[in-house]
Amino acid sequence: MLGSVGEALFWAVLLLLGCGGAVWMVVALVVPEWRVHHEFVETQCKVLDKRINQKPGDDGPLFGPELKIEYNAGGDITTWTHYDIHNAYTPNRREAEAILEQFAVPSAASGPCYPCWYDPADPYVVVLVRGYRWGRWFWLTVPGSFMAIGAGGLLYALLHWGKSAERRAARRRRAAGRNFLGGRVTDRRYPFVPQSDDTTNSPGTRLRFRLPMASSPGWALFGLLTACVLWNALVAACVWVAAKSHLRGEPQWVLTFFLIPFVLIGIGLIVFFFRKLLVAAGIGPTLMEISDHPLRPGQSYRLFLSQSGRLAINALRVWLVCEESATYRQGTNTRTETQEAFRQPVFVRERFQIDSGQPFVAEFDLNVPAGAMHSFKAEHNEINWSVVVEGDMARWPNFRRSFSVVLYPVPGSADR
Amino acid sequence: MSMEPAVLIRFDGDASAYQPGDVLAGHYVVEPLEGDSIKAVEVSVLWHTEGKGDEDMAVHEFWRRDADDVRPIDLREPEQFVTRLPNSPLSYRGRLIKLHWCVRVRVFLQNGKELLGERKFQLGHVPSLKRLAAE
Repeated sequence: MLGSVGEALFWAVLLLLGCGGAVWMVVALVVPEWRVHHEFVETQCKVLDKRINQKPGDDGPLFGPELKIEYNAGGDITTWTHYDIHNAYTPNRREAEAILEQFAVPSAASGPCYPCWYDPADPYVVVLVRGYRWGRWFWLTVPGSFMAIGAGGLLYALLHWGKSAERRAARRRRAAGRNFLGGRVTDRRYPFVPQSDDTTNSPGTRLRFRLPMASSPGWALFGLLTACVLWNALVAACVWVAAKSHLRGEPQWVLTFFLIPFVLIGIGLIVFFFRKLLVAAGIGPTLMEISDHPLRPGQSYRLFLSQSGRLAINALRVWLVCEESATYRQGTNTRTETQEAFRQPVFVRERFQIDSGQPFVAEFDLNVPAGAMHSFKAEHNEINWSVVVEGDMARWPNFRRSFSVVLYPVPGSADR
Repeated sequence: MSMEPAVLIRFDGDASAYQPGDVLAGHYVVEPLEGDSIKAVEVSVLWHTEGKGDEDMAVHEFWRRDADDVRPIDLREPEQFVTRLPNSPLSYRGRLIKLHWCVRVRVFLQNGKELLGERKFQLGHVPSLKRLAAE
């Protein structure tokens, strides 16, 4: 209960901060501009003098344009005024000068007149320009986001106030099972077992289904190339600075020695990338087909393997692998740890050649162990099964290609 | 010296292992407890994970009973619960993940306190990984 109170208080404070900030911004930014448009009285003024007022700012001096004007507001008034209602200062002197250049100070009594607007409640408050500065309204998004997050969090906390974790979970389950019209979305006979649609939507040529590869080598290569380019670009920039110091005859030895491990990592990344590129380009596609899917413990299936390329292979192995994957928060980071929980040999062929245009093909049995844990997928924890092909190559980098499968539990009496 | 009240949960036939689709039945009592001191009681049949990852939890069956003037809750007499167990997820003890099933009874007292009782059971029979590898 204390946790709920603390949580609700936190969101309430966030919401109040947002509301306070929004009110202050509306009063300081929106209301003055609205009043100039709707309440200020228009009249004509003469510019008698102008100047740039300077005041210190956090990042240097700030400049504000000021004009001495004469106008009639029930009586003649002469006063110094800022250009607009916000008395805005700018760090750019040229900008302030440009504003003043719009107004001429006449040398004779009959000079040009300019429109101006004064506050009827205080005629000494006068401006020479009207308009809404929409850019300033952008800052309303800051308190706005505080309000949205605070209100959302507070609503969530209030909805769950005093409710047990089990009651919340039951409500989530009911909501997950129904669409917005109240109809049932799913009729899952195997809760928390992932769907096998991705695996069964591609028919095979020899067996019933062609299994999709768990991760495309193209995307992995692209990711590796991006990392390689970014890392080496950063390191190259630093190396350039160090090299210039040596060329100038003022060598920066600390920087030079500091950069050595980073350069080595960059070289390592390049080597690793080309190795992966060799594997992707030089080793032809691996195809895996299966006689039925999803799998069941204790059942046997036929697998068909096709490996293309022009390769000398020390050993080609196929495994049935189960991996556990756990996601957890550590401080502000979210980490995922994966560990192999089970590995069973399915097929092995040693010392043979594959000629180009003549892919190696083999058909063999896959026996799923009885009592094996089924595939499982929850928010933070997963159990995934896959058929893994590993190639131990002669004169070539080894390769590993993984094909996801879904293992269902043994049917319960509800299924029979 | 007065005893602290406790929730006692029992499964019919004192079973502790079930298969998917089996009927899980049992009862619970709270003793010793005054009859009119209970505000509400919640009974859940649920699974939760334990291990390296953050905890996942899902409720298979959930009942809640609120006390009112007409029908106060008296848990000195055994209260029954019955549910048919789902096909999955099965109980599991892996390297990073452990998955437990249990019946959890949460009793909300009029004085704002809560009593919690829990009894684990096994759903399905997944042998340990070592045994599976040896087989």
